[in-house]
Amino acid sequence: MNLFFFITHILCRTAKLRLCADGGANRIYDELPLFFPHEDPFVIRNRYKPDVIKGDMDSIRRDVLDFYVYWGTKVIDESHDQDTTDLDKCISYIRHSTLNQESSRILATGALGGRFDHEAGNLNVLYRYPDTRIVLLSDDCLIQLLPKTHRHEIHIHSSLQGPHCGLIPIGTPSANTTTSGLKWDLSNTEMRFGGLISTSNLVKEEIITVESDSDLLWTISIKKTGLPVQDHKP
Amino acid sequence: MDSIRRDVLDFYINLGTKVIDESHDQDTTDLDKCILYIRHSTLNQETSGLQILATGALGGRFDHEAGNLNVLYRYPDTRIVLLSDDCLIQLLPKTHRHEIHIQSSLEGPHCGLIPIGTPSAKTTTSGLQWDLSNTEMRFGGLISTSNLVKEEKITVESDSDLLWTISIKKTGLSIQDHTP
Repeated sequence: MNLFFFITHILCRTAKLRLCADGGANRIYDELPLFFPHEDPFVIRNRYKPDVIKGDMDSIRRDVLDFYVYWGTKVIDESHDQDTTDLDKCISYIRHSTLNQESSRILATGALGGRFDHEAGNLNVLYRYPDTRIVLLSDDCLIQLLPKTHRHEIHIHSSLQGPHCGLIPIGTPSANTTTSGLKWDLSNTEMRFGGLISTSNLVKEEIITVESDSDLLWTISIKKTGLPVQDHKP
Repeated sequence: MDSIRRDVLDFYINLGTKVIDESHDQDTTDLDKCILYIRHSTLNQETSGLQILATGALGGRFDHEAGNLNVLYRYPDTRIVLLSDDCLIQLLPKTHRHEIHIQSSLEGPHCGLIPIGTPSAKTTTSGLQWDLSNTEMRFGGLISTSNLVKEEKITVESDSDLLWTISIKKTGLSIQDHTP
């Protein structure tokens, strides 16, 4: 199951705000109609249009920009700000918007793979906004930050996630991490690059707990479930 | 041997490829097993200038990717380069001052220095668009990404092990068939 399908059928229904960077707009425009081959591409593009396109506008195609502007998407040109990544600009926008609440969660796709410095910069966005719940999604997995300030309880949706998982001390070593619910649990275990890090682990229970003295990245695989494409006409 | 197809295995055995079944060892990744083999092989002892190029180690599941990056940190004395379609990654151990020669027909200009594993209190570079000068780098703060190579030679010195990454150019080289 492709990630884009997951986005359109599950996320777009419940999202309060749909936002993309300018390069992402090209992909949504080109690729979403491919999931609905029996429907008019125009209808699909309209149904799944982003609320906001934000970025330095150096990647978006003219025809894509014109389409979305015409149909009401707000476009924010940030080309004057070269110091932050596209993901950064999008997260900033959301954090400052009135829609953002404590219970809000941001799901970001397209942030992984590709150039490694881009990927590292995007992982750093999670570390720089530890009080904002951001989940990075790819075709293969999701990643979120588990700040050291809390004991975490992660509920596993086993029809969509797992069993492969990991805990990665990307920025700083961990002297003490304890978990429950994994195949290979940690018990006040030290983790660091150059030594042990928890990869190719497996979720065993429906609830995973993690407590650590260091900010960790939690990652879990996404199942390719082969959900059928159903057309929900209003 | 849990991923290889039967027809693929038979083909290569037939042509003389050596097959080593490590299915009893579930604690190390595929990349790990390959690096270990090379480190213990006689080739490694003969050539001190040996460099290992590994493809297929990036992208996909993030825990796999992290495990493969960790292989670079666990063998800092072995020169390993991870290659993908978009970039290459190698470890710059803190024990040395590094000089990186840029092959501009193949690499760049996009590059970065990433303090994976431990923050760096002091990193100094030359040859980059945005050089560092005893600059602190850490996750949660500044890390050097979307940088650009400006010179043909880059130097890096740091108190922390860093990952150096540079983009690979899509050069559109034509494939020529050299039939003997």
